[in-house]
Amino acid sequence: MDVKLTINGEEKSASVPPETTLLRLLREEFNLTGAKIGCDVGDCGACTVIVDGIATNSCLMLAGQVQGRSIETIEGLANMDDYHPLQKNFEDLGSLQCGFCGPGIILSAKQLLDDNPDPNKEEIQDALAGNLCRCTGYTKIVEAVADAAREMRGNRKAA
Amino acid sequence: MKPFDFVKPDDQEGVISTLVAHSPRVRILAGGTDYLVELKHVSQSPGTIVDVSHLRELRGIEEVEDGLRIGAAVTHTEIMAHPLIEKHVPAMIHAAHTIGAVQTRNLGTLGGNLVTCVPSMDSGPTLVALEAKVTIAGPGGSRCIPLTDFFVGPRKTILEPDELLINIVIPKCNLGKPTSFYKFGLRKGQALALVNAASSLWVKGGKFKDVKISLGAVAPVVIRCPKAEASLEGLPISQDVIQEAGRIAVTEAKPIGDFRASLEYRNDLIEVLTRRTLNSAIQTANQS
Repeated sequence: MDVKLTINGEEKSASVPPETTLLRLLREEFNLTGAKIGCDVGDCGACTVIVDGIATNSCLMLAGQVQGRSIETIEGLANMDDYHPLQKNFEDLGSLQCGFCGPGIILSAKQLLDDNPDPNKEEIQDALAGNLCRCTGYTKIVEAVADAAREMRGNRKAA
Repeated sequence: MKPFDFVKPDDQEGVISTLVAHSPRVRILAGGTDYLVELKHVSQSPGTIVDVSHLRELRGIEEVEDGLRIGAAVTHTEIMAHPLIEKHVPAMIHAAHTIGAVQTRNLGTLGGNLVTCVPSMDSGPTLVALEAKVTIAGPGGSRCIPLTDFFVGPRKTILEPDELLINIVIPKCNLGKPTSFYKFGLRKGQALALVNAASSLWVKGGKFKDVKISLGAVAPVVIRCPKAEASLEGLPISQDVIQEAGRIAVTEAKPIGDFRASLEYRNDLIEVLTRRTLNSAIQTANQS
């Protein structure tokens, strides 16, 4: 089937079999390998991307379901010169170790901050409950999201 | 995944004619959070997959003559944020919040949770305690039945292969009825309920009225507990009768013991959650 969609602001199209998941589509057709194949059954969150403004497990969506929709992946969040505040704070605090879960966690956190610029600790934990990290534990991850939120609120006030 | 055809008809009529044309080698897809997991493991192609998530008839939450109509393809996240749910059935917000994690709730639908029909479904008890009805459409037209008649067994509903769940209706008489849902899982996120429960009731002159108790994960399908309900009806509220209702509820369930929890543990949880949901619903009733 032919799929047309917007990825990180650019219109894209591909011809793939219907049994292709959004995750495979991103990785294998568009070489966007930031979203990871972890459990591939919706438990680990490593494949999290943002579809029309909501965080979803890309391993649980079929190509046909994303027809005409807008996808944000970790690759669209920043370039090497200009990090997103979430990425910068994750780096500053050493929130990630191997990094496999990072793209998914950062995108889940981004959706949280898009909806709620001033989340408390419990709200951050709830937003990240679908993202597993098996290296560092979650303390520094939650702290980095809170720091990024603070930084982004400061920027918004200044603007 | 085995190869299949993917179709996305424009309207309900198109979905039903597709179901009829391809039955029984056809499956309905809404959120896909459960079905895609199954699809990755099956050895046979499902034939045709019909996406219904966009259908107008399956979307939206609105007040109708009979009560509150919730489209079958409304997601758990949409339920959590909807003003009519907050106004009329706030226990559904709590129940939706206990499902999976954000990503699952963003895709997963209320109708999908019911159609998948796993005994531990977290949408079930609240809806059963509120005597919800469901509308089913098929080639012969549509019908409205009590939700308790919809459930047949684990992963089995009354739906025929050419039928579709359209909406869920909370009856008007139960809108605003004090209701409490409680789930006991081993983690806050991504956990199946060991036991979940909901109670709805009115308090009139310090006495129980119209008590409904529902339990999940303790029988092949979500159940009502008519004996426990009857034991409370018309009695003055006291912890003694609430404790007794919890003990009676245990006799009405048929839990299994498995790797998640033993039979004895689940029986204890039934008592505790029955008490907790009753007490919490009473508290809500007394505040209003």
